[in-house]
Amino acid sequence: MGDTLITIIAIALAAILMFVFPLMTMSDRTDDISQLAVETATTEFVDDVRTTGKLTLDKYSKFVEQISATGNSYDVEMEVQVLDENPGKKTTQANSTKIGENVYYTTYTSQILDMITGTNGQSKTLALKEGDIFSVNVKNTNSTLSQQLKNFFYAVSGNDTYTIAAEHSGMVSANGTGN
Amino acid sequence: MQTSYDSKLNNATYDALKAFQLNTINSSTSDLSNSKLRDIEASVNSFFNSIASNFNMAGYNKDILTSYVPALVYTMYDGYYIYSPYTNTLSEEDYNDESTYKPGERISGLKPYIYYSSRYVKGGIDVVISYTLDNYITIQGTINGNSVMEYGYLISDCSGDGENSATYRGIPIGTENLTEYGVEFQENANGEQIPIEKKYTYTKVNGVKYYKDGDEWFSILNGERYKQNDFKEINNAAIKYYTKAAEFRKFIQDNNLDELTTADAVDEEGNKTLQDRFGNYKIFDFDGEIAIEEPNSNFNQHRLAVIRYSIEKNLSIAIANYNNYTDSTANFQMPKLSEDEWEKITNHISIISFLQGLNIGGKVYNGYSIITNTKNEEVVSEDSIYITTADGTYHKPTEKSLENQAIIEGVLNIDFERKSLTSNTGVATYFFPKKQLGSYNSIVNQTDVEDVDNIYDYMVEKGGILAKSYFTALGRERYSMYKTNNNRAEMIAEFS
Repeated sequence: MGDTLITIIAIALAAILMFVFPLMTMSDRTDDISQLAVETATTEFVDDVRTTGKLTLDKYSKFVEQISATGNSYDVEMEVQVLDENPGKKTTQANSTKIGENVYYTTYTSQILDMITGTNGQSKTLALKEGDIFSVNVKNTNSTLSQQLKNFFYAVSGNDTYTIAAEHSGMVSANGTGN
Repeated sequence: MQTSYDSKLNNATYDALKAFQLNTINSSTSDLSNSKLRDIEASVNSFFNSIASNFNMAGYNKDILTSYVPALVYTMYDGYYIYSPYTNTLSEEDYNDESTYKPGERISGLKPYIYYSSRYVKGGIDVVISYTLDNYITIQGTINGNSVMEYGYLISDCSGDGENSATYRGIPIGTENLTEYGVEFQENANGEQIPIEKKYTYTKVNGVKYYKDGDEWFSILNGERYKQNDFKEINNAAIKYYTKAAEFRKFIQDNNLDELTTADAVDEEGNKTLQDRFGNYKIFDFDGEIAIEEPNSNFNQHRLAVIRYSIEKNLSIAIANYNNYTDSTANFQMPKLSEDEWEKITNHISIISFLQGLNIGGKVYNGYSIITNTKNEEVVSEDSIYITTADGTYHKPTEKSLENQAIIEGVLNIDFERKSLTSNTGVATYFFPKKQLGSYNSIVNQTDVEDVDNIYDYMVEKGGILAKSYFTALGRERYSMYKTNNNRAEMIAEFS
């Protein structure tokens, strides 16, 4: 009786050790590779926008396509901080010993997408200027195989946990229109 | 790894550019070539500092990184500097204990300035033409045995009498009364120096601004005022620009220089081997359909080809030579730059940096970065003229809603930048020479801007006060910028 129970437990354990753990390790590696691919794509996307000063729907779609090729779905958050020197200029006028302070105002993903999508879904150019800051933050929204397995075994649940994430940001170094 | 290194290199190059920009905008002496060298060396230092701090995580320090940078290129208005290692050629006899460097020592530094120039031989014509980032050229050499040295701007359709009136493509060019704000230090009761802001009439000659305070004219050098002889209050630099351009056009036509074609270009040995590269068409085609100053004219096409050929040749030599100077086992090679990147380089003042040979696991890093400088006193490009309107804002000339506004004048973009002034007791203050605020449609955001390839055609089409202000400002700023060919005393005499 006791022997049978131990045998069953042993078989179950053996099954876990022989199949599930390798599977988990494998799926972990897959995530690592996706992570690397997403990081690279994000950096390239941001640097492209940064050095040309131009953000277009084409560039954005290409980027989304690239990261989706890893087989996961992602939430892409973009943020443009537009440098506005005018308020700083006004303060300096009031008191000429004071150094003007730069003010940034920010536009986020949905506003940016509105600005780069034309009337018929055509690509429009959002021109940035020198001194603006552009940043992108990417997280996976589906649960990857490795997340599912981990949730099952370690019960680390919670919907907003993500395993693949990348972010990159930087100052724009060229003017998007001409100059 | 490659992308993150690219990013870091980009940032470092941007830092270098920012350092150069700050130094040139704020310095009242930086038009002189020795202080230009100083500004560039300061910029090189900030590049290495920035590289060192950006890469600190990877365990590299500045000394090590220096040996991975085969070349830095600073392209300027009429030529460029290459920063790379070279062998010191001090002779043994001249060496003494106090010499900074030993003979034959390998040092990193700026190599001599190289002009964007090309030599042409045809019949009795044997000239070297030096190009710049705009339509200004210098012609040196011999024509039918007589030596010539002429310089000027190339413009197809313009005329003027040199003093009171000029036209460009039928658009009248005006005289102006220029004003801007400046700061004067005054001592208060406690003996402290207080900066007082004042509005001055000014005129700009050969890159230096002369201000009028009361009845006195003065210039500012290192925060000190220097009294100057009187200048005319009405500025007609733009009229002179178009008049001189018409005279220069006549010189070229009278001497048959307009017969020169790109196939007449010769290499350093005097052989016509460059035709494959430059093609065969007339360089100075004044009567063609496309005006010579327009971006897609024959002249501009050839100008860009010459600049590109010169940089490409000298840079690949510098990078290839680097192999002799480095202990690194990597083989340094000049990367292939894309057409877009060449366009950036040949139209703007820029910094090109190279970083090669770093081991990034599995492969060797090989990257470069190009950052262009749009705020400088070196060149007045078509994009660097802004338009001010009566509501106290400034706009890009291509802003769509500009026609409905009361236009005042055209202004050079760096006049909207903050400047600093230090008094002789060391009190520093900041001020804006122009008080206008940036337009939210075309400066802060660029949402309402026409996409214009050829601003000359665009302006002629718009006509009216916009075209007049734009072309007047473009002519004025180009005529009053610093140029090595200018005779300072003659220039001052013209405006006083």
